[in-house]
Amino acid sequence: MNRSGRVRPHLPWFILIGAVVLLPVIIPSKYVIGVMFLVGIYGVLAISLGILIGHAGLFSLAQPTWFGVGAYVAGVLAVREITPPWIGIIMGALFVALISYSMGAPLLRLRGHYLACATFGLLIIGEIAFTQLSDITGGNTGLLDIPPLSINGFVFRNVFHYYFLSWALCIGSLWFYSNLIHSRVGRAIRSSHDSETASKSMGINVPRYRLQLFVLTSFVTGLAGGVFCFYLRFAAPSIFSFALLVELILMIIIGGIGSLWGYLLGSLVIIWLGELINVYLGKVLPVMTGEVEAVFFGVLIIFVLIFMPRGLSGWVEQLFRLGKRTYEQVRRNPA
Amino acid sequence: MNRSGATRHNHEHSKIATVEKDALLHLDRLSKHFGGIRALDEVTFRLEENRIVSMIGPNGAGKTTLINVVTGIYLPDSGEVYFQKEDIAGLPAHSIASKGIGRTFQLEELFGSLTVLENAMVGGHTRSRSGMFGCGFRVASARAEEKRMRDETMEALAMVGLEDRAFHSISSLPLGERKLVGIARALCMKPRLLMLDEPVGGLAAHEIEKFLALIQRLAKEGLTIFIIEHNMPFVMSISEQVIVLDQGSKIAEGSPEEVKNNERVIEAYLGEEV
Repeated sequence: MNRSGRVRPHLPWFILIGAVVLLPVIIPSKYVIGVMFLVGIYGVLAISLGILIGHAGLFSLAQPTWFGVGAYVAGVLAVREITPPWIGIIMGALFVALISYSMGAPLLRLRGHYLACATFGLLIIGEIAFTQLSDITGGNTGLLDIPPLSINGFVFRNVFHYYFLSWALCIGSLWFYSNLIHSRVGRAIRSSHDSETASKSMGINVPRYRLQLFVLTSFVTGLAGGVFCFYLRFAAPSIFSFALLVELILMIIIGGIGSLWGYLLGSLVIIWLGELINVYLGKVLPVMTGEVEAVFFGVLIIFVLIFMPRGLSGWVEQLFRLGKRTYEQVRRNPA
Repeated sequence: MNRSGATRHNHEHSKIATVEKDALLHLDRLSKHFGGIRALDEVTFRLEENRIVSMIGPNGAGKTTLINVVTGIYLPDSGEVYFQKEDIAGLPAHSIASKGIGRTFQLEELFGSLTVLENAMVGGHTRSRSGMFGCGFRVASARAEEKRMRDETMEALAMVGLEDRAFHSISSLPLGERKLVGIARALCMKPRLLMLDEPVGGLAAHEIEKFLALIQRLAKEGLTIFIIEHNMPFVMSISEQVIVLDQGSKIAEGSPEEVKNNERVIEAYLGEEV
């Protein structure tokens, strides 16, 4: 978030961790915690995709596929009792990393919308594969009867357990990514987005770093997929589809491109807005909830792009600056 | 690409080089074509170590193309480039950079989303090694390296006089300071050869004096400097050797005085006498 290059503040981390720990105590509602589980998982996806698009300039649209492959591999390994569930999550993510490496090596030679087209192809292929490999995935009926996650005898029984798991993953990856973008590797990646020519001339092996980041974000997304399938105890092709991609892009734009914390904020806002629309508008207009949601988000994105082009995070930053300035003015002339 | 590896010694061009000691950079009949345009046509010259050499020539003479071919942004069509006796022609740009060739750009090409400090720190990339996991998990070695790079980069910024701009954004700097960031970034590579593409283009007289002093100081510290510039007073006062390029070919080479009085040079700049 802090772009100045100075020492980064610790306060936001304490606030975030404090809020995550205290929320189940303050609001011990299964519904709220369940939605917050989704915010954490989608936060991981949005941050991973946001770092690719916003910081590296790689328009990769295959994010739902990595999420799905991670979920299916972990789910299938658990259903068939091949490995313990938690090892399945890691195997799933490693499998995702392997595929994204073999796909990324040729695809990342493409730039801009060509890369977007190619990775969109991956997304479609993924959806078809999840449906057609019905011997393994259960096809359109989905993968049923996934056992609950257990680690060393500890069984994740209720939504609170999954809530903490999802936020551990979310905060962990936020921490990792934010260390990364402010480091040597992150500067290499961000610089290649600004000027590839200059980046290469500084000795940066641009394709190598692009591929590394692509595989890393896919791996993290795969982890999130594994956690997600144990929470749902179910996986179906329709979950990992184009609709999820649209939702993620919405989160990134609303949160503000270029800020990792913004992507997380985007996840929070979009998931809760979706819930509000489903719960309240469902009561008012019971026949047309799906359409209303699509129209609402469409209008929202237009408004955000016009009135806060740097998204919520840019807007919050502006507010902070304004507050700081008024505070300093008041302190200078305390009339 | 049909680069011929034969007869790179003993052909007539290399006789021009004054002393036959080892050159830091040696271009041997380097050619680059863009479609039908001969951007570089069999250009040959040597850069001795620890000198300030300028290249001049009318617009479109191929000067920037020459830097781009040497630094690996473009592939040469034929000819060789030797840096410290090693043939580097055709290598990828990032490997050439790591061998010790730093450069700046005519239009700065700074990284707009990075601060001044971060821009310069990118220059230190080849001198650091932390990988993705070391950086992401903040392991001790990566943190120590980051601190070392930051301290060294601050020194480089102090060298060009930008230490108090370290945390500014690039877009907030005037042109002269942006050019200095470009130089600081290249200095962080600790190069043997520094190639400057129009370092004082568009600057005011008092700024140009500062650049003059800076470049002379860098040369005194052992750097070999290759400059492309249109500003003749600047070129004539700073250079020990001047190379003149016209329509992709080298038409003259020598001391500033020799070049100034060379008929072909005057012709290229002023057109033929009627």
